[in-house]
Amino acid sequence: MSGVDFSDSAVIASLAAALEAAGVDGIEIEHPARKVRIVVERCTSPTAPQIEASQQSPATIHSSTVAAPMAGIFADRHPASVATPFTVAGDVMLGDTLGFIRVGPVLLPVRASETGIVTRALAGDGCLVGYGDPLFEIEPRP
Amino acid sequence: MPTGQTHAAERARGFDTVLIANRGEIALRILRACKNLGLKTVMVCSQADRQASYGALADTFLCIGPASAGKSYLNRDAILLAARLTGAGAVHPGYGFLSENAVFSAAVEEAGMVFIGPTAQSIATMGDKIAAKSTMIAAGVPCVPGPDSELPDDHASVEAIASEIGYPVIVKAAGGGGGRGMRVVSDAGVLHESIAVTREEARQAFGSPALYMEKFLQHPRHIEIQVLCDVHGNAVWLGHRDCSMQRRHQKVIEEAPAPGIAPDVIGPVAQACVKACLQIGYRGVGTFEFLYEDGGFYFIEMNTRLQVEHPVTEMTSGIDIVQAQIKAAQGIPLDVFQNGITADGHAFECRINAEDPTTFLASAGSITALRLPSGPGIRVDTHVHAGYKVSPYYDSLIGKLIVHAPTRAEAIVTMRAALAQTEIEGISTNLPLLRLLFDDEGFAAGGTDIHYLEKWLKQRSGS
Repeated sequence: MSGVDFSDSAVIASLAAALEAAGVDGIEIEHPARKVRIVVERCTSPTAPQIEASQQSPATIHSSTVAAPMAGIFADRHPASVATPFTVAGDVMLGDTLGFIRVGPVLLPVRASETGIVTRALAGDGCLVGYGDPLFEIEPRP
Repeated sequence: MPTGQTHAAERARGFDTVLIANRGEIALRILRACKNLGLKTVMVCSQADRQASYGALADTFLCIGPASAGKSYLNRDAILLAARLTGAGAVHPGYGFLSENAVFSAAVEEAGMVFIGPTAQSIATMGDKIAAKSTMIAAGVPCVPGPDSELPDDHASVEAIASEIGYPVIVKAAGGGGGRGMRVVSDAGVLHESIAVTREEARQAFGSPALYMEKFLQHPRHIEIQVLCDVHGNAVWLGHRDCSMQRRHQKVIEEAPAPGIAPDVIGPVAQACVKACLQIGYRGVGTFEFLYEDGGFYFIEMNTRLQVEHPVTEMTSGIDIVQAQIKAAQGIPLDVFQNGITADGHAFECRINAEDPTTFLASAGSITALRLPSGPGIRVDTHVHAGYKVSPYYDSLIGKLIVHAPTRAEAIVTMRAALAQTEIEGISTNLPLLRLLFDDEGFAAGGTDIHYLEKWLKQRSGS
């Protein structure tokens, strides 16, 4: 297992395909520097396995990325809000609303995935963002 | 039956931005056609295709969901939302995915956009294989012997129908197609069991247990006719193709024109297809698929979309089929007449798949080196490049190698050379198989039937 390169998405993909073919629900592999968890979703319609690969090296803490939950127009604050939007160097708590994804009349909140400091704000107010596009990077500060 | 008023409303609807609801080589093909027509493009993608280099060629490249096709390329709501967000005026569904989904077609039109394809009604009619057969019979298109009605439940009636047709027969799911949901019945002894099993498969796969029965042709060729229709009551056929080289109903090599078929034999059949299109108010491009045996044509189904193998007909007719399809959707009348359409020379297409050469299972991986052939008479339609990561989430087609030459024999020589010049490293492909087939005497003679490749493969694995 130690010789397998889990940062290569082709490896993850073939592992996931093997799991699906074997009818196994998931696999979790923990290694001092990496953790990989692959879960196969059983539904009526065929879907590809959901893949989570998180890197946690004990030496350095990496920023966590907040990604857009769906495609839409990024709004850095609620239209009715007068508060200042979250920006770089701002403090955030886990669960804070950092902005919204607007699709027509629907506003989908974008929430902080960590407590810490916003190190990057990547989407401009009013910009079109896609599913999974990075919106913020947060450096965790517990 | 469309009225003049409907057509007038359609004629008024123009668009300047096309959303391409597909991926890979066909997405790139559609993008090129849009650019040539001066149209803006929105390309949607899944997480797995974020790095696709063709994305940078679109005016907007938007990720709409995770890798799984069901949550991205098959996600009707996500695609419609993306169209709304980007201001697209039309949606091109490509092939596969939602291209023959009547609900999607209707939803696009209901959202005020143009679906680049036929109406939802046409898709639904041709998607129901029994209804399609009835429509063809009414238009004088020759069909496979067998009633154009649903197979009844009672055993006596079923036995009578089978005897009337004559064994061997094939039972097919009305909601199926593309080789799925069908079973050959060799004699009366296995009739009822075969039907029961096929009904259950059909119910599970297509949501309907409705079946129909036809004569099973034992050594047919697969011949198809390409049609093009506008919204002004004009329809033409652009050529015919032979796609008999198949493995498990998947085409591997296609050619145009179908060799050894006299124009006065296929001409009337093609005209009947055109007539059928006009009768149902078909618009855009479509392909009528036939089995051809002992000089007779037998309609099996119609594909209400652009096909993978459209390039071979482009090579022989000189017509850009994707541009023609988009112009038809824009309400522009056809600028070609039947007597102006010719079939020049001969073209072949090889489908290059990322697959294991022995198991034929799709293989994923990174393309470490890529060398593509070029030169007169050679065309390559592909989205891949050195460094491209072939993902396991979608079909295995990574490119199409197309050649054109004045004669079939010369086209085979050109293809052999082109295949020899092609190098793809880092993944497994079917290139070795394609090279062997183009060295095969039987294939070179032309006119091989739809079982040829499977027999050929069986022989090679047996020896």
